[in-house]
Amino acid sequence: MIHDMIAIVRDYWLLLLIGQYPNGPLGGLANTLILSALSIALAFPVSILFALARLSKSPLLRWPVTALVYFTRGVPLLMLILWSYFLVPLLTGADVPSFVTMLTTLVVYQSAFLSEVVRAGIVALGPGQMDAGRALGHGYLGAMRFIILPQALYNMIPSIISTFVSTIKDTTLGYVINVPDLTFAASQVNNQLLTQPFQVFLILAIVYFAICWTLTYFANRLERSITRRRAGLSNLPSAALVAPSKIISEQL
Amino acid sequence: MTMSVSAQELQTIRLSQVCKSYGDYPVLKDIDAQVTRGEVVVICGPSGSGKSTLIRTINRLEEINSGSITLDGQNIHAAMRAKELNALRSRIGFVFQNFNLFPHLSVVENVSMSPIRVKGVAPDVAKDKALKLLDRVGLADKARAYPGQLSGGQQQRVAIARALAMEPPVMLFDEPTSALDPEMVGEVLAVMKSLASEGMTMLCVTHEMGFARDVADRVWFIDAGQILEMATPEDFFNNPSHPRAQRFLADLRH
Amino acid sequence: MSGFDLSAILGNPEYTAMLLHGIEMTFIIYAGSWSMAMALALLLLALRLSPFRFGDPLVAAYVSYHRNVPTLVQLMLWYFGIFTLMPSGVAEWLAVHNAEAIFAVIGLGLCQAAYFSEDLRSGVRSVSPGQMQAARALGHGYVSAMRFVIMPQGVRNALPPLINHSVSLFKNSSLAVVIGASELTHAVKEIENLSFRTFEIYLIGTVLYLFFSLVIMSIGAYLSMRTDPARSARA
Repeated sequence: MIHDMIAIVRDYWLLLLIGQYPNGPLGGLANTLILSALSIALAFPVSILFALARLSKSPLLRWPVTALVYFTRGVPLLMLILWSYFLVPLLTGADVPSFVTMLTTLVVYQSAFLSEVVRAGIVALGPGQMDAGRALGHGYLGAMRFIILPQALYNMIPSIISTFVSTIKDTTLGYVINVPDLTFAASQVNNQLLTQPFQVFLILAIVYFAICWTLTYFANRLERSITRRRAGLSNLPSAALVAPSKIISEQL
Repeated sequence: MTMSVSAQELQTIRLSQVCKSYGDYPVLKDIDAQVTRGEVVVICGPSGSGKSTLIRTINRLEEINSGSITLDGQNIHAAMRAKELNALRSRIGFVFQNFNLFPHLSVVENVSMSPIRVKGVAPDVAKDKALKLLDRVGLADKARAYPGQLSGGQQQRVAIARALAMEPPVMLFDEPTSALDPEMVGEVLAVMKSLASEGMTMLCVTHEMGFARDVADRVWFIDAGQILEMATPEDFFNNPSHPRAQRFLADLRH
Repeated sequence: MSGFDLSAILGNPEYTAMLLHGIEMTFIIYAGSWSMAMALALLLLALRLSPFRFGDPLVAAYVSYHRNVPTLVQLMLWYFGIFTLMPSGVAEWLAVHNAEAIFAVIGLGLCQAAYFSEDLRSGVRSVSPGQMQAARALGHGYVSAMRFVIMPQGVRNALPPLINHSVSLFKNSSLAVVIGASELTHAVKEIENLSFRTFEIYLIGTVLYLFFSLVIMSIGAYLSMRTDPARSARA
C-alpha cells in the first residue's frame, strides 16, 4: 500500500503540483493555493466594507448587506457556485474560465463570513474607543481608519488565517465546474490509473491535511501571542488567557 | 444524654501533624488541632496564610502530603474507594465563598437534588425537607426562583440550606461573606448564628470579627501555614499573645 | 428562450416529483448524518474525559483529521476509495442499497462528529470549576456530578455553535451530489438539463435550501431560548 502511494507520488508529482502547465492552464496544488490566496486578498477589503455597511446608521446600506450575509450563510456553497457558473458568463458576456467563476464565488462567500468577524471585532472594542476618537475631533470614518480598524484587524489576524484554511478546503468544490485544482488533478491521476483509487485519494487527503494543519498551527500560535500581548496592555485576569482559542474552522 | 462519653468520641474533627506543600512551597506546616462536637471555631489570619487551604483539606477538596485528618475517628485522607469518600463528604457540609449554586436548577431543586441523587432520599420527602430548610433561612418564597434571579446574600443562604439538606454533623464555611456586598453580610451571619445556637459543629474561615466575638467558642489564628494561637474570643481579641496576631488585629482596626 | 416562467417547472409533475425525491433524499442524508454525528460526538467526549490514557490524544487526532481534510475529499475517499476496498459481498449489498447515500451519511456523520465533539467540549470547559467542587462537596461522585450538574450546563453553553454546525451540516448534504447521491442539488441539475430553465430551477433550489436552513436555525433559536430565560434575572 505504502509502496503504491510512493510510486504514485513519484510518477505524478508534477501533475499534482502544477496541473497540465505548460500544456494547459496552471493547475494542481499551485492553482489551489493561488486561488485561495487571491480569494482572501480580495475578500478582505470587501469584508471590511460589508462590516462597515452593517454597522452604519443608514438602512439603505445596512439591509442589502445583511440580506447578502444571511443569504450566503443559508445557501450551500455548491449552489452558489452553480449560480456563478450561470451568471458570470451571462453578465460579462464573455467566455469566462472556471477559475474566475470560482474566484468570484469564493470572494463573495468569504467576504460575507469575514464581515461577521470584522463586525464582531469592532463591536468587541466597545463604544469607548469611538467616543474618544470623536472627542478628539475625528470624523466617523477617520476614527474608523486610525483608531478602530487597526485594533480590530490586528485582533482578527488569526481569524483571517483560519478563513484562509477554510478557503483552501472550499476550493475543492471547484471540482463540479472543472476548476483545474489539486482535487481535479488527483481525479485525473485516478482516471489514468483506475486500479488504485484509495491510494490516490488518500494522498490527496494527506496533502490537504498537511497544508491545513500547518496553517492552523501557526494561526493558533499567533492567536496565543496576540492574546498575551492584549492581556499585557489591559491587565486581563489570567483566566482569559486560558480560554480555549476560538479559531473558526467550520463552514466546510 | 449519654453519661460518660470517651474523649475520643467527643472529638469530631481531629487534625494531626498535617503538612501540605505545592511543590517545594510549604502551605501548611504541622497543623495540630481539634474541633469537638457542638463547638464553633473561627479561623482567621492574613491573606495567603493558608486558612482557605486548611479548611479545604478537611473535606479533601485539597490533598495533604503528610499527617492525618479524622472525622469521628475516620481518616479522611486514607486511601479509600470513591464511594466511601463520597459518603464521607456528604457528612461534611461545605459553604463556598462564591456560593457555587447550580444555575440550571431552581432554588428548591438545588437544595433537594443531592439528597435524592446521592443519598437516595425519596423525591417528595426531599422536597418537603428542602422547603423547610429554605423557610429556616428565610427564603421559602423563592423556592421556584433560579439562582440568577437572587441577590448574593440570598444565594449564599440557599447554599447554606443546600449543605444542611445532607444532614451533616459538621459544617465548614470558607469565607462565606467575603464575596457579598456589605449590606447583605448581616443576613448570612444571622443564619450562621442561629445554626451555632442550635448546637451545630462549625468551622468558619472569616474576617467577620463581630461574628467571632459573638458566636465562636475558639479562635485559631493562622499565618504562613501555621496555627500560631488558639484562644477564646475574649482572650484573642483583648489580649493576643503572639506578636503576629497582635499585628494582625492592629491592621484590622487601622 | 421564453421569459421567466416558474410554472414551467412547478407546473410540471415530472419535475416536481424529481424535486420532492431530491428533498426527501437530502433529509434522509441529513437526519442520518446528524444522528450519527451527535451520538459519536458524545462518545468522543466521554472518551476524552475518561481516565483512559490514550483517550485524549486519539480523539484529538480524530478531530484534527476531520477538520483539516476538506469534507469533499473525505467523501471521495469513502466512496471512490474505501468502497472499492470492501469485500465483494458487502460491496454488492451496498451498491444495491443506495451506496451513494450510505457513504454520504457515513462521511458527513464522521466529519461532523468532530465538530460537534469540540463544541460540546468547549461547552463543558466553560462551566466554572466551582460547580464540580460544589457537587463533590455535597458527596456526588464524578459520574453523578457530570450527569446532574456539569453536562446540563455544558450542553446549554454549547447550543449556539451546535446550532451553527447543524446548519452547515445541512448545507454540506449538497456535497453528496459529487459522489452521485440523488439529493436536492442533483435534482436541480437534472431539471436544468431537461428544461433549460436554469434561472427558474436555480431560484427554486436556492429558496428551498434557504427555507430549510431558516427552519433549522429557528428550531435552534427556540431551544436556546427555552433553556435560557428562566436563568436570567427577571425578579
